[in-house]
Amino acid sequence: MKKVFLEDLSNIQAISGFEDDVVNYVKKIVERHRYDYKEDFMKNLTVFIPGKSHDFKIGLFAHMDEVGLMITRIEDDFIAKFAPVGGVDPRVLVGKKVRIGDKSEGVIGFKPIHLQKKSGESPSFDNLSIFVGKTSKIKVGDPVFFTTNFTACGDFYVGKAFDDRLGCAIMLELIEMEEKFPFDLYLSFVSQEEVGLRGSAVAAANLDVDLALVIEGTTAGDNPELEEAHWATHVGDGPVLVAVHSGYVIDARIFESLKQIAKKNDIPYQIKRRTAGGTDAARIARTFSGIPAGVVAVPARYIHSPISLISKMDFENTFKLVKAFVESEVALI
Amino acid sequence: MNLERLKMLLTSFGPSGREEGTRKTIIDLIKDHVDGYKVDKVGNLIAWKNGNGKNKKKVLLGAHMDQIGVVVTHVDEKGFLRIEPVGGIIPQILYGSRLNFNGIVGVVGMEEEDGETFKKNLREMTFDNLYVDVLQDVSKLSVGSFGIYDSYPIFKEDLVVSPALDDRIGCAILVELLVNVDTPYNDLYALFSVQEEHSLVGAAVGAFEIDPDLAIAVDVTDSADVPKAHKRISMVLGKGPAIKVMDSMSVSNPKVVELLKDVAERNKIEYQLEVLPFGGTDAYAFERARKGIPSAALSIPTRYIHTPSEVCDLNDADKALEVLKSLVKEEIDL
Repeated sequence: MKKVFLEDLSNIQAISGFEDDVVNYVKKIVERHRYDYKEDFMKNLTVFIPGKSHDFKIGLFAHMDEVGLMITRIEDDFIAKFAPVGGVDPRVLVGKKVRIGDKSEGVIGFKPIHLQKKSGESPSFDNLSIFVGKTSKIKVGDPVFFTTNFTACGDFYVGKAFDDRLGCAIMLELIEMEEKFPFDLYLSFVSQEEVGLRGSAVAAANLDVDLALVIEGTTAGDNPELEEAHWATHVGDGPVLVAVHSGYVIDARIFESLKQIAKKNDIPYQIKRRTAGGTDAARIARTFSGIPAGVVAVPARYIHSPISLISKMDFENTFKLVKAFVESEVALI
Repeated sequence: MNLERLKMLLTSFGPSGREEGTRKTIIDLIKDHVDGYKVDKVGNLIAWKNGNGKNKKKVLLGAHMDQIGVVVTHVDEKGFLRIEPVGGIIPQILYGSRLNFNGIVGVVGMEEEDGETFKKNLREMTFDNLYVDVLQDVSKLSVGSFGIYDSYPIFKEDLVVSPALDDRIGCAILVELLVNVDTPYNDLYALFSVQEEHSLVGAAVGAFEIDPDLAIAVDVTDSADVPKAHKRISMVLGKGPAIKVMDSMSVSNPKVVELLKDVAERNKIEYQLEVLPFGGTDAYAFERARKGIPSAALSIPTRYIHTPSEVCDLNDADKALEVLKSLVKEEIDL
């Protein structure tokens, strides 16, 4: 599996609602092939790969947006205030370089340690600011992006936005294979997941699929300070299958068939141990008369921050599992 | 109310997302009494009886099959399980009680490394400091296995004490309706929905699929006839079903509320009115399906909801059944 898609996609800056650069990148790759694709007003882009049979339609979903910030107020003294776009912990922002809008750059600062009355004063969105230099170049509503560059580091990839560019990379890799799968396959690159599963609602309503599989980057939470029994997932233990998450109990048939397919193909897997947090599966399942949905994810440490980390093997194995799933002749029982 | 059928429903295994056991039980009970039934894409059971009325309406009556439960999140090397809730189970209820993982029973214990931890964990109990001891080989269980309370129904005069009355009492009312109403005036669609306790996904999908003229959720509601009950609610056991005017997730359609009141009054069936400052039912999902469906809920007042010992008065269930019977047998003008 090539790492170039993941590297390119991770470096692209695209928060919820501002996914254009990811859309353009995906389009550039897709246009090398002869597949039809369609876009909608939510910036979702769906690629269609006709299958050997048209009796069953599978939808794969990955979201293009990453979490970030937005300028809410510009103050004198070269300073701007901001709000989170998606779930961002304000404590991870201190001392970070960011990009604002198309061209400007800035630095997020906090009261220096010398001036804090007691140590450990907590940064919040109320008391953090971005130093932007010339404020005339920015305006309220400008998106603010993290700027971390992708690196490969031993057995790991390190970078930003793995949630969920890794899902986008896996889908591009499937498109590049130019394979004919048993069933019609729709690969949907969706917008605005991080702000409330919004793009997938429109994408799923525009497709008429019989089954959906969401490919995600998910919380690892295997930090050394936590007991193992309380981890969410563990980096290096393989693709994550989700049984229950916020907003939807994953379809039992898809959950079980992912397990079977992993076993059959000697792909390691783990089951997520926490039920908090949701994915586009919760939204897709509610579409019209219902679409049974499943989730497969790559465990990523420190997601929703300017830097995260995944295992190369987990990424490869997740691709293998998704590929084996869409290649399998087993539709819904 | 047929107690044998009610018992079968109360003792079936059906936590949110794993409703197969309950669904099968219901199918067996109704299949010879309906014009058709199907299991939809997310696992809802939809059963119908065609009406013979000239101006018939399509009436959706919904009850959710699922019950609150737990899911296994970790199995340690000695076979002890860690769990998280599926729906609104509070951890305090679990300590020292038993859970049933579809046939495998486990006991819930709490971490208590020293006196201080014991006291602290009792005070601030969370799923993080509870574990399940299944006292046997755990190889049949894994992360992702589902469990429910290990308890059973008992009957005391007109009262029933049981886990999962929320909402098997609603399922039982709809089963009785399907079994006992021969030919309704209106088209009767019974929706036995999935995942109400988790996310209302079944109700949203089922209402879209059925596309009814009106929808009524049959579910449980809180009861104020206990010491220091919630100060702002009025529902009590034994005074008939409660017609829901509002809860924290939906305001019932006033026309459907008036319809239910009118049916009850004309047929001299005792009822109460319900305003619940918290909670919600499948009606929330019904009313926003498609272009909007006039919706309300008919509730059975229940004590100790979401515990292994929920309590209902069977007379209230019987009266709810009477209201719904009359509703499907008469011409409806909304």
